[in-house]
Amino acid sequence: MYKWMKNRTKAQLITVTLLCVAFLASLVFVHHNHAFYDRTIVKVTEVEELDREVILDEHENEDVRVTQQVTGIHQNGETRGETITLTNHYSESLGVDYQLSAGNEIFLANDGESVGDIKRDKYLVFVAWIFLLILLAVGKTRGALSAISLAVNGIILSTALDIYLHNPNLSLFVISGISIVIFTVLSLLLATGFNEKTYTAIIATLIGTFASLAIAYLALVITGEQGLRYEEMSFLTRSPQTVFMAGLLIGSLGAVMDVAITLSSSMFEMFEKNHHMKIATLKKAGYEIGKDIMGTMTNILFFAYVSGSIPMLLLYFKNGSPLDFTLSMNLSLELARALAGGIGIVLTIPIAIYISLFFIKRKQVSV
Amino acid sequence: MNTLTLLAIILFVLMAWIGGKKGIKSFIALFINFLILILTVIIMNDPNAPPVLLTIIACGLISAVSLFFINDVNNKTVLAFFSTIVTIVGLIFFIIIMTEQSMIHGFGEEESDELTIYSVHIGLNFVQIASSVIIMSTIGAIVDTAISITSPMREIREQNPDISRKDLFLAGIHIGRDILGTSTNTLFFAFFGGYMGLIIWFKDLDYSLGDIVNAKVFSDEMITILTSGMGVALVIPVAAAMSAYYLTREKTKEIDEHPKK
Repeated sequence: MYKWMKNRTKAQLITVTLLCVAFLASLVFVHHNHAFYDRTIVKVTEVEELDREVILDEHENEDVRVTQQVTGIHQNGETRGETITLTNHYSESLGVDYQLSAGNEIFLANDGESVGDIKRDKYLVFVAWIFLLILLAVGKTRGALSAISLAVNGIILSTALDIYLHNPNLSLFVISGISIVIFTVLSLLLATGFNEKTYTAIIATLIGTFASLAIAYLALVITGEQGLRYEEMSFLTRSPQTVFMAGLLIGSLGAVMDVAITLSSSMFEMFEKNHHMKIATLKKAGYEIGKDIMGTMTNILFFAYVSGSIPMLLLYFKNGSPLDFTLSMNLSLELARALAGGIGIVLTIPIAIYISLFFIKRKQVSV
Repeated sequence: MNTLTLLAIILFVLMAWIGGKKGIKSFIALFINFLILILTVIIMNDPNAPPVLLTIIACGLISAVSLFFINDVNNKTVLAFFSTIVTIVGLIFFIIIMTEQSMIHGFGEEESDELTIYSVHIGLNFVQIASSVIIMSTIGAIVDTAISITSPMREIREQNPDISRKDLFLAGIHIGRDILGTSTNTLFFAFFGGYMGLIIWFKDLDYSLGDIVNAKVFSDEMITILTSGMGVALVIPVAAAMSAYYLTREKTKEIDEHPKK
């Protein structure tokens, strides 16, 4: 026992040391990586406010427009070390522009004399580390496994999209379908290991996802996609319908997996505690759990999807758009996604229950 | 018929069929939450209304609807409610600092054509609005994790009335570890699905890694995903500690009230 504890603390010490080193090293790197960028980076050293005026737009929104004179030093390229002075305008609402202050690092726009973008990599790396550290502190090994599973899923998604983009003949649908099988198997095996409850959850997730997709697709066909405003979809280089359906398929997958594994593990646990439990009792208990989780699970998807539209809703409102127009333009796709995801979540409940019962019955016979 | 109406009807029928009365309540809760969200956005139109404060109030209402309306007011839902609020208030400071520093507020240059038609100088505080969006995106997941911890903890306490405060806390943390992976997964896939178009866009237009990492839309999305993951992880010790403290305090109180038992 003593030896075990000693070994464990040693392993933990090594892990903590390695983490600290990696943490510091990566932070030092992102603060000194200017040479890796082609775009010119300027570090702001001094800011002077030149002008400040109240402006009114055509909808009588009052804002303050500020002009700043910004002095900074080139951080990379052949002009490294040179001083530059540029003018920066911003409105106090900061909808599309930036209020600069000393210490900010910016990318110069292509014209060489205005603010292009902000150097954000250091913040991104910092937030990613905080996330990882919290995950490890709370979840220990389980936290590490979830971080790995997230990273692996991200890489798979990116690879799948690469394959799609380089093979125009393949449909995004088929690619998403295959990716979903890989995501499900990997994530659930990493979460709960090789056992019957994992297999149950995998089968239930796949059936639940594809069944809900079929329902959503049918609903779209029957109604002729009336009320869905694809024209407001941002970032489009491909057919909006395809991107939307593929996003719908992948978006609800996590929630469906969550429902499937929650139900299968609690039903197997009940069976393990009492091998002679009646199938009807088990089924009833499963439904009770399902009822408990369906409300909060549908909420998760709803808020994850709809919240992102808040800034655009405000922009519409402030530009005098009527309520129903604003809502239907900005929320139709998000709501459709949330509703379809909800259908997936609810459908998976009976599917997971019946598949668990199928495996449990086989076990009971062999016992 | 409108597609959204049909999808909503299908969802309602399924929820009522599988969940019975509770399913119907869950559907109504979803609808009320939608109204709360829209109302919050409408109030945010007033330049004098502080968006973050409004969001925290809205999150309180949303958690109350999800917890007290679908379930009842009892110690497990009350504990879940307070754990959610504590986590959100704690997280909001980190979120505001990160949004300010990384300047992910407002609209990205890649975002759609409205920006050329519409006036963006509308007198609102987009830094605070960006923080509000992040906190609002994660509220559903935080409530879900909170109730998934306080509810079995109460059961553990009922089955082992003599359990010490520390053991009960550790039991809560263990439950939390079991659900941590699936909860973060739920959020990540939801965001991946929502931003498929963005990823394809970056790849189609040959953005370099440096361009992607520093782009406003990408940073915004990643910071939202990561902070919502933090929220889900942080609510675990908060809910476990609050439940352990409260549930074992109840026990001492019972003993005080019935000293001869």
